[in-house]
Amino acid sequence: MRKVALVGAGVSRFGVRKASYRDLIWEAGKACFDSMPAVKPRDVQGLVVGSVMPERTAFQSHIASMAAEALGIRPSALSARTEHMCASGTVGIRYAYAFIAAGLADLVMVLGVEKLNQPRGDEAILNMGTGVDREWEAAFGLTAPPCFALAAQRHMAEYGTTEEQLAMVGLKNHTHASKNPNAHFQKGATLDQILCSRMISTPLRLFMCSPITDGAAAVLVASEDRARDLTDRPVWIRGTGQALDGFQLTSLHEDYARWPALERAAQSAYRMAGIAPADVDVAEVHDCFAIAELIAYEELGFCRKGEAGPFVAAGRSDYGGDVVVNPRGGLIGCGHPLGATGVAQAAEVFAQLRGEAGARQVPDARVGLTHNNSGMGEHVVMIYGREA
Amino acid sequence: MLYFRATDPFPLESADHTKLHEFYTRLAAGRLATTRCGACGRLAWPPRGFCGECGSDRFDWTDLSGLGTIHAFTVQEAGLPAGFDGPRVFAIVKIDGLRVFSILVDAEPSSIAVGQPVRLAPLRVADDPSGSPRWLPAFRPA
Repeated sequence: MRKVALVGAGVSRFGVRKASYRDLIWEAGKACFDSMPAVKPRDVQGLVVGSVMPERTAFQSHIASMAAEALGIRPSALSARTEHMCASGTVGIRYAYAFIAAGLADLVMVLGVEKLNQPRGDEAILNMGTGVDREWEAAFGLTAPPCFALAAQRHMAEYGTTEEQLAMVGLKNHTHASKNPNAHFQKGATLDQILCSRMISTPLRLFMCSPITDGAAAVLVASEDRARDLTDRPVWIRGTGQALDGFQLTSLHEDYARWPALERAAQSAYRMAGIAPADVDVAEVHDCFAIAELIAYEELGFCRKGEAGPFVAAGRSDYGGDVVVNPRGGLIGCGHPLGATGVAQAAEVFAQLRGEAGARQVPDARVGLTHNNSGMGEHVVMIYGREA
Repeated sequence: MLYFRATDPFPLESADHTKLHEFYTRLAAGRLATTRCGACGRLAWPPRGFCGECGSDRFDWTDLSGLGTIHAFTVQEAGLPAGFDGPRVFAIVKIDGLRVFSILVDAEPSSIAVGQPVRLAPLRVADDPSGSPRWLPAFRPA
């Protein structure tokens, strides 16, 4: 297989945006092309668009072609849309990776985009129900918060994880987001504010949850030859893994605080990259809810099972700790425009490994990891490195 | 109203719409049923028209007890989808060795506990667009 690298990246402003679905595509596309001025739209051979529900939110299907035309890309090697709920963006990056590694394309853009906010807030939430099983789950009014709340309940009962430790994930990520001009939330938060915020689904409070956000992100993915032509600082894709335990809640591990699929996806990625968890300098993990970040520490191998609460409380996932987790602010601070999230995670790792992350820079970051999930039983892990 | 029809999250339950209509017919009569594979005998939850173990599409219906215990639960107070009210108790119910996802009705949220016994309480929801009644398998404290 050929080596593959990221050579450009850009994100739109995330938030409750006064912008159309196409406006968001333009913003992220522009930011991505601006990061790599040698590449013009006509040079890009392929486009993969990660987007979950434009049929519901923008009354638009046929997404890859619509976005290609919006950006002036004329795909000659690859044109596809990926939909895998909240992991759609990273699933798209894996498609681009595979096509390029196989020699079927040399330069591909992966763009993630979602316009979630609707004139009625409860409709936006109803739409999120399409991500769980309609007949056996969404029909009861299920969306993501109660699913992850079950994991939090179990983690607290089994390991003694506290509400304060859950809140500390929110505190860290809101603090990080305050240094990110593209984040949904930029005002930071205090521990008291988080612990006193409205209960969403026991034990998860508002500031422990990611919000309903509009946004887009894009990366340029290139073969080794093309990457070396374009830049002397490519960010290499060194490993990738994807694993699934199940779709419905009742198909997952009966202990909802254990996510075996994440451990398997991580092990695949570590093995492919030839690294261990301790080698990771910066990680963008899928903190759709605070409990998800805690369980991710454990399943990714940053700490032992059950020790994630003390791990965050001791600052080991923050600047100066073992690994900086979610320097851009995570999903809790940046928001979670589903299809855009995985691509925005890659864009952050791209900036971090090139030393271009400004106020958020993790000193001398060499190895970066992204973790994107679609529910508690479906996980994708990518490992990036400064060296190939 | 037309708008909400378009975003109706409830399944179409009649024989015109699903191979699994027998589930809803029995549910309307107060019975919780599921499928057993006609080839390998595997009991499924939820009911299914194709066996993921042996690949057969033959199945028979079998009634479950209707009595179970709470394996896990959460109370959602805010952020519910359009058409659903809080507080809403979501639970995983263990029943005849299966895990069933559902909601608890007629339950005081502060008194619910893991291990608590619950009983099937079929819940009538909005009729389908042709006026047929629809039911979901909810539970209540036993």
